[in-house]
Amino acid sequence: MSFFKGFNQELKLILSLRVGAFLCLLGWAWVHFYWEAPYAILVWNETVFSWVERGGGDWEKFVGTGSNDGLLQQVVRQLFWVFLIAAAASFAARKCSIWKLIALLMGSLFLIILFYARYLESQQQLPILIEHGGQALMPIILVLALNFGPRCPLTQHVAILAVMLTFAGHGAYALGLWPTPANYFAMTKLILGFDFEASVVFLKFAGVMDFLICVGFLFTKLRRISAGYAFCWGLLTALARPLAGMSFDLHYWGADQFIHEAMLRAPHFMVPLYLLVLWHPVSEHES
Amino acid sequence: MKGSKWFSILSLILIFGGLALSQQNDQKKKGRNLLEIPVVKEDETICFALYTVHDQTLKLTAQLYPLQEGDSKKVRLEINEGEGWKLVAETEIVNPGWTAPFRVENWDDTTSVAYRVLHGPSAKYEGTIRKNPRDQEEVVVAAFTGNSIHPGHGGDISRQDLIDNVKKVDADLLFFSGDQVYDHHRHLAAWLKFGRDFGEIIKDRPTVCLPDDHDAGQPNLWGESGKVSTLAGASDGGYSRPAEYVREVERAQTSHLPDPVDPHQIQQGIGVWFTNLNWGEVDFAIIEDRKFKTGPAGRVPKQGPRPDHIRNPEYDPASVDVDGAILLGERQLKFLEDWGCDWEDAKMKAALSATIFCGGAHIHGGANGRLHADMDSNGWPQAGRNRALAALRKSFAFHLAGDQHLATIFQHGIDEFRDAIWSFCVPSIANLYLRWWEPLEAGANRESGAPEYTGDHLDGFANKVTNFAAANPEKKPMGKLLNTRSAGFGIVRFNKAQRTITMECWPRNVDITDPKAKQYDGWPRTISQFDNYNPNSWEKSGVFLFDQKEPVVQLIDEQTKEILYTVRVKGSSFEPTLPVGKSFTLKAGVDHPSQVVATGVKVGSASERIILK
Repeated sequence: MSFFKGFNQELKLILSLRVGAFLCLLGWAWVHFYWEAPYAILVWNETVFSWVERGGGDWEKFVGTGSNDGLLQQVVRQLFWVFLIAAAASFAARKCSIWKLIALLMGSLFLIILFYARYLESQQQLPILIEHGGQALMPIILVLALNFGPRCPLTQHVAILAVMLTFAGHGAYALGLWPTPANYFAMTKLILGFDFEASVVFLKFAGVMDFLICVGFLFTKLRRISAGYAFCWGLLTALARPLAGMSFDLHYWGADQFIHEAMLRAPHFMVPLYLLVLWHPVSEHES
Repeated sequence: MKGSKWFSILSLILIFGGLALSQQNDQKKKGRNLLEIPVVKEDETICFALYTVHDQTLKLTAQLYPLQEGDSKKVRLEINEGEGWKLVAETEIVNPGWTAPFRVENWDDTTSVAYRVLHGPSAKYEGTIRKNPRDQEEVVVAAFTGNSIHPGHGGDISRQDLIDNVKKVDADLLFFSGDQVYDHHRHLAAWLKFGRDFGEIIKDRPTVCLPDDHDAGQPNLWGESGKVSTLAGASDGGYSRPAEYVREVERAQTSHLPDPVDPHQIQQGIGVWFTNLNWGEVDFAIIEDRKFKTGPAGRVPKQGPRPDHIRNPEYDPASVDVDGAILLGERQLKFLEDWGCDWEDAKMKAALSATIFCGGAHIHGGANGRLHADMDSNGWPQAGRNRALAALRKSFAFHLAGDQHLATIFQHGIDEFRDAIWSFCVPSIANLYLRWWEPLEAGANRESGAPEYTGDHLDGFANKVTNFAAANPEKKPMGKLLNTRSAGFGIVRFNKAQRTITMECWPRNVDITDPKAKQYDGWPRTISQFDNYNPNSWEKSGVFLFDQKEPVVQLIDEQTKEILYTVRVKGSSFEPTLPVGKSFTLKAGVDHPSQVVATGVKVGSASERIILK
């Protein structure tokens, strides 16, 4: 915790949440600005088509003619601003700054929409929704901390829920309860050099640990260890993306493709860090 | 902290309970049920069998259902030539994948033979190894791609129409160009379903299956010689799934193909299967157009919201044709050069691969609309595309492929429009992803009355292409219907007497022998074998009259010493078309162009009579 020396305990707690929310929202802003966010599945279907027609709208104006962009593409492109403003609000927001808090809540709302689209894209695999829960809740936790204080039980409860969602979702995939994503194996192979059999064993172990730390939050004696493990594992798995994918052979070393993958996963380690600081025994002079 | 504890307990119950319930529900979903591996009786353990016969070697792979512990792992192959069943091969089941690959050398392919695969005391699977259709005037290939089983767009509709039509035309060869399996995690289950759906026609005729991206468990595939891919979408190049999975897929789908011509493995111990299959005097090159291809992410300047998509119509096409980007790779190009010169037992040549050598669509998928160019197509990298086409046109090879979800006919150009081969991209069995060929400007030099989208165009990579047909789907999402989404299949007839190639493109659920049945607009189309390399700028030389029927001829540029082309002559006279202003050496022979029969051959040369010894 040497990094935090000089900050008082309250500031440390708020700072960890601000950093988590900022990195996450900025990562998603980058996805919207530079790459492609997966909204198509929500809007390119017969139900939306019938809504547009019933509302007197023109389908081609809505989705484009093929030679130009429709309303849909134009709107999706502008969503970048929602995430960028929310990211800025992560550091600028104070208890009394209502619009900045609303910007943060809007960030959460759009993350939820985004993750719902991913859930549909994955043919409705529940772990997709669950594992992204931590990210979706990150701005909300910050708003709660700013409004009610970082030590408020509600803030704490939602933070615990966020960690549990992230790790339960990851655990369900790592254990193979749902098909394990291919990049779990790929990252294990590239970073640790494990062959397939060793990767299977390693991922199963990691999956069991993911579930165990969720249970660990139930026990006072284990919750700090759980939070500590969650911080380390969350940080390592976030960094694994750029570590496995970046290369000197690529334009910008592949930074434009992989850095945001680590950033948007910041809640996976910053929320556990918040809990770790929260449950850190406070000496008198610190308090 | 009591409240905190209760909150945590409640959260845990909700999360774990939700996961458990959801997992149970997932198993009951319709799409998942389609992939349930049935529990089979002891006498039904063999699901289906695929085979090819090439160069007097039979290769047959039997696909078994998962066996119980303690079940025999031995499988036998017996044939009946009219004198009762006799054992010709025995093999061990390879797991993972439950495949039983057989290899029988010195195979007599002059007669059809009944075969049966046997496992354990009672499991039996029967079919026919057909005779080589060498004596037939016409070799018929039925071609398929994109076997989606997703109910959302008609994937769950029975394949019986396809089975019936293949039987009616009695196809000599089946070609599945890729995406036989769309499930990215359960290849075995999906492959068994593929076998249950198509086994009835596969068991009696040679079949070529090429595993493409979805078969290998990823949405797109730039194999980059077996690298590991970590990026969502896999455009960083390589394989997303573990190599064990990829090897299982390739074992199931390709172990019955003729032996690979250059079997060295690529990274991660993944094998290769590019090879040729000579069937009925039509020599098919089976190409892996994904395995060696470079991934675009980080290699080319970003031109759109995905590393593999170019949305900016103002971009410079040369900027993405980067040094070092590979399409087929040196090993396959060498194979194609050698294959193009080898006309033993062959009158026509064709290449089979996953997809065509151009950007063959403008509007892609869903709400994302128009793409200027898609690097998943073989239009990129342009230099690699041109090298592949240059190798193929040297033997007048026709190209049959799929993957585009859009049936098209193109003639490709390298230096000028229409100076290279023709390709037919067949429609999907059930169309998961819609695409349209819809250029913004009308094509040049269109045939009279042809739609504006036909004619000469530059694709998104500035490759020269000439479109002759496109089975565009309807514009709005139409749910389950197959034919509004332009589903269907292709039939290609190689007429060896006429040296013509006829492309047919059929929708689903029609009887193709019914005279009233209608193909997609633009089909059928018949071309000459020699149209595959007949640039407009070339002109004719004199006539060479041979004392032998159908000799093999080869023209070599006297300045560069490069082979212009090699081909088996139709009849006994040959009137070469040639580039103006160059002179060539003509080599010829009965089966190999082994003798120099004329030098200084050029446009307008005098006719000659040639005696081959």
